[in-house]
Amino acid sequence: MGKRRVSATGITVLVFFLILGVLVSIRLTGVGNHFPNPVGGALQRVLSPVEGVVLQVGNGIRNNTRAIWNFRTVEAENQALKQKVEQLTGDNIELKEQVLAGMRFNALDQGFFNSPTLSKYTKAGASIINRNPTAWYQTITLNRGSQDGVAVNNPIIAQYGLVGKVVAVTPSTSEVLLLTDGEGQVSALIRGSTGTATFGIVRGTFKRTSRLDADGNLQMLFRREDNVNIGDLVLTSGFGGVYPKDVPIGKVEQIQLEPSGLLKTAYIKPLEDLESLEEVYIVKKAEGQ
Amino acid sequence: MRYLLMLSMLLLSLILPGTVFSFWSWDGIKPDLIMLFTIYMALHHRPLYGAFWGLGAGILEDFYLGRHFGMYSLTLTGVALLSSWLAQRWNRENFPLITLLVFLVTFAGQVFVAFLSLGVGVQWTINDALRLITGVALYNAILVPVSYPWIHHSFGKGWLKYRPKYER
Repeated sequence: MGKRRVSATGITVLVFFLILGVLVSIRLTGVGNHFPNPVGGALQRVLSPVEGVVLQVGNGIRNNTRAIWNFRTVEAENQALKQKVEQLTGDNIELKEQVLAGMRFNALDQGFFNSPTLSKYTKAGASIINRNPTAWYQTITLNRGSQDGVAVNNPIIAQYGLVGKVVAVTPSTSEVLLLTDGEGQVSALIRGSTGTATFGIVRGTFKRTSRLDADGNLQMLFRREDNVNIGDLVLTSGFGGVYPKDVPIGKVEQIQLEPSGLLKTAYIKPLEDLESLEEVYIVKKAEGQ
Repeated sequence: MRYLLMLSMLLLSLILPGTVFSFWSWDGIKPDLIMLFTIYMALHHRPLYGAFWGLGAGILEDFYLGRHFGMYSLTLTGVALLSSWLAQRWNRENFPLITLLVFLVTFAGQVFVAFLSLGVGVQWTINDALRLITGVALYNAILVPVSYPWIHHSFGKGWLKYRPKYER
């Protein structure tokens, strides 16, 4: 009896099916998948304390030396602030508008965590331990996982408003897709100066203009006749089942008429500075709530 | 000691891009350290070992990221095989040449990741994808002069050198 030989065709077929299997697996396990990942969970459990410490030290160094590394930016910021102060002092109407807007935000800030929609959910604080492990998605990793009751699709909020939602959970960590990533969308409403609500979908522009722009932005489409103005506040509408109602998202910064003339796009600046976040709140929300 | 050091470097390659390099990113671009380390491993081992290393590192990264299982396993295996193929033709002692090799192999690896990502529905413009791919390849290449001489020396005479049992 001679040794059984493996033919080249056999190897090619085997490799073909292996690659096919991997491609199917890649397709099935996209962002927000529910496949169990115990190895990943164990890895995160071991590595997250180290990541947390490294990120904390890095944040400390960055915050304490920001003025040195970004001297030109700080200088420019200083100039801009001086101009702003002069402009605000000189323009009384502008000042009134700013004061009113400030009062509105303060009221929101104070009532935010006691709002009827948020008060019924448990909220847990979490620290950010990792930012965008790869540049392909705008994500952050939090130091709370399924052991702490975190589940996929739990909304993430911070002091002033919405940050994103959980897309993956391990026992000790969870991954959050930020608002600015184009892969996620939020059902939202804009409350105009008259108090009437206009509904729409907020999308991140991270993928639309330049996904590499870490600042990112949000945009929302409206009909031409909709009453939307610069400075209007954008809130979650509560539709879609993921985000609770009335969580602030951002403020309209710019409105542009589409070339067709039928629609207009509102460019929205998130209330939260997503780049400098260090702590967030996880809204523990069971499916369907 | 050798394997412990290799494992530590692998784990560091996993956590550094999301921590230290989030402070040293250029417009969101950061190096792909696992890919860089896989290239180094492939350059200093036989092709089959390099490919196994690439596969192992890829599986670990897939588990760590928890999405698109198989994407990095497939990519890093390919990266290791390509690095080994080039290493048989190019001189490993020539650091500028290795810098070019790292740039080219990382570029190819990132193109493959982009190809797979676009295949599963991640929406990127060609311009942005090209910017990211070139950026990551450049960043990895820039890290070569500061990391390769040390790694190469260690594989030749230091802690990373393979020692047969009778020498230990």
